[in-house]
Amino acid sequence: MYHPGHSWLHRLHPLVKLAWLVAGTVFVFVVRSPWAGIGVLALALLAFPLSRLPLGGLRGTGFFAVFAVVLFLIQVVAHRTGTLLLRIGPLRVTTGGVSAGLYVAGRLLSVIWMSYLFVLTTEPNALAYGLMQAGLPYRYGFALITALRLVPVFEQEGQTVYQAQLARGIAYDRGGPRRFVTLARQFFLPLLVSALGKVDALAVSMEGRCFGKYPRRTFLRQVRFTRRDALALGVLGLLSLATLVTQLNR
Amino acid sequence: MQTALHASSHAAPAAPCATEQAPGPIIAIRDFSFRFRGSPRHALNDVNLEIAPGEFVVLTGPSGGGKSTLALALCGFLFNQVDGDAEGEVLAGGLDVRRTPIYDVAEVVGLVQQNPEAQFCTLTVEDEVAFGLENRCLDPGEIRARLDWAFDVVGARHLADRPLAALSGGEKQRVAVAAVMAARPKVLIFDEPTSNLDPTATAQIFDVIAAIRALERITVIVIEHKTAYLERFAPRWLRLVDGRLTEAAHPPSNHVFSPPARPGLSHFGSALAAPDATRRSTAPPAGPVVTVDRLSAAYAGPPVLHDVSLSVQPGELIAVMGDNGSGKSTFLQCLLGLLRPAGGRVEILGHDTRTTPVSTLAREVAYVFQNPDHQLFADTVWDEASLAPRNFRLWDGAAEARVASLLEAAGLAERHTDHPYRLSYGEKRRLTLAAVLSYAPRLILLDEILIGQDPDNAALLLSWVQACVAAGSAALLVNHAPALARQVATRLLFFDTGRLSIDAPIAEGFAQLAALGRTAYLVTESGGRL
Repeated sequence: MYHPGHSWLHRLHPLVKLAWLVAGTVFVFVVRSPWAGIGVLALALLAFPLSRLPLGGLRGTGFFAVFAVVLFLIQVVAHRTGTLLLRIGPLRVTTGGVSAGLYVAGRLLSVIWMSYLFVLTTEPNALAYGLMQAGLPYRYGFALITALRLVPVFEQEGQTVYQAQLARGIAYDRGGPRRFVTLARQFFLPLLVSALGKVDALAVSMEGRCFGKYPRRTFLRQVRFTRRDALALGVLGLLSLATLVTQLNR
Repeated sequence: MQTALHASSHAAPAAPCATEQAPGPIIAIRDFSFRFRGSPRHALNDVNLEIAPGEFVVLTGPSGGGKSTLALALCGFLFNQVDGDAEGEVLAGGLDVRRTPIYDVAEVVGLVQQNPEAQFCTLTVEDEVAFGLENRCLDPGEIRARLDWAFDVVGARHLADRPLAALSGGEKQRVAVAAVMAARPKVLIFDEPTSNLDPTATAQIFDVIAAIRALERITVIVIEHKTAYLERFAPRWLRLVDGRLTEAAHPPSNHVFSPPARPGLSHFGSALAAPDATRRSTAPPAGPVVTVDRLSAAYAGPPVLHDVSLSVQPGELIAVMGDNGSGKSTFLQCLLGLLRPAGGRVEILGHDTRTTPVSTLAREVAYVFQNPDHQLFADTVWDEASLAPRNFRLWDGAAEARVASLLEAAGLAERHTDHPYRLSYGEKRRLTLAAVLSYAPRLILLDEILIGQDPDNAALLLSWVQACVAAGSAALLVNHAPALARQVATRLLFFDTGRLSIDAPIAEGFAQLAALGRTAYLVTESGGRL
């Protein structure tokens, strides 16, 4: 998913981006106003040029846009509060319905869009190292890195197992549930055996290089905190403070 | 070493240990035996061995003979992670390995494993080489200095910023060596470091080992079947067979391929020579088995094969060679229709792969993949060997007799009811080949099936392929063993970055390789170059 680059957003500290993502998500769920989702979405859309991502690279956004429209329409039809705006046969469109629709759709789209920006501009490796340097126990950090490393390997191996099955005449297109169980076993057992072998080799490699010797470890790669990060974090702090004040005053 | 000792004795004349007498052994194994829990026999049996600092040792022997077990013993893993019974003594750098934490043994002994990919713990080259040093809590300045040194030793400085996934096989293994070297172990063990590599990368790894030798008088233990590459180091040869260790005066077996000495083969040969053509949907081929016309092929991205044209006749045994990533496996996948042509045409016995389902092609085309663990699907050895003929509805008395004689030849006759995953690596390999020969395919595609096989097992596998070819099948053998290819193949296909750069009878093919300057492919088993 990660899209390599050197944009302003790419160079932001992964944890600062994570803080924005978490804060934005909390905001749209806590502030129950249609303007919350729309506001965050607008902010996230404004941040898009900072990522210098190609528009064509955003697969799946169309699906979520359609999904959001459907959600909006359902909310509009389901709510009958506030002023009546429009009547189409038995359906009534009210200000309450529109407001609820905007709230739900805006919330969905803003969270999706923020996540897109985060995932596409954050190198998973930098996130893992950033988390470890911020205090996450390194065993968990490397569990994440190992998972990141092995997922494409297993994907590839699954492909090979499938091809080997085709070559030996194992057919996927006939048979009922019992046959399905057999097929599933014939597919996953080779993957499991291969995975166990990989785990053994990895354990030898990690412990042979002193992984786990001390409770802490040092890092050559420093995920740096820069003035850019301070600025982004400052703005986030101010926005959070403003939100807190206005929410408490209601 | 001698000069270093002189220097140190000058610098510290008072130190009593800095004398010029021969130093004690860096490795000492005494009366050592090991048996895996649940196994009836010892994996290592009464092993005695002393290795002096700076020695260069090559350990050979058949697969399953205990070589990797010995390597794991020297690193301490055998006593921490593996269930089993150990007797005797293992000392490394004076440490009692059986009773020392792996972390402390790791300061003395470093291990480079067979598959570079399996030993990576991180995602980028620099993180990987720094990994062991970070775990030792060295400060970044010291880590940086050691990284620079290790990159220079293996010639990988230019790779430092690359993601590991973007490296070639040879580059990966060089990074794996650097990652172990960076900790400056006194003993470096290589467990078949080149078995996954093409000849070009293999030559590079042995050059790296030579560079390590030249730089540091480090003790090196290499476990390797490709002994030809190691003669230049004038090593001490050791041989491990059935868990028993012996010194070998000369490099072991200079032959690559000799007729295997396993009984039951003549019987098996006659079974192969009688393919029952009548039960087939198609008539025996009068024309070529394979016709490829201006084939280009691609996965998701840009083409990986360009403009390949050739035909294959019955009775041909073709060696398919080239660097990793040159398109060899892709080409095989096109022949079974696993990958449809992006351009051009592939015909198998007259069937166009663009319009024929894989299940139809698979009745005539056998495909054995590289890793046996990816292609064992049944619950017993017998079911595994008979799975394909049953699936293809070719199961009859003749097929049953065929499976029986195949398993006999594979030395698996008494293990009919065992689960395939209980077999050794070599046995699994024989079973996966038997499992596709069981339905007498007309075209046999073998993708690097000789990796990790000792010479005897390799010879046995090849004798089966030769028998099938003599019976009228055609076979394509993707391999990284030039000396062996010269001996068994009739024709050479050489791929270079997706193009078929050589297609010639075998002797002429190698002459063309020489003309192209691909010297890594010209190593003979006696260690010289052609």
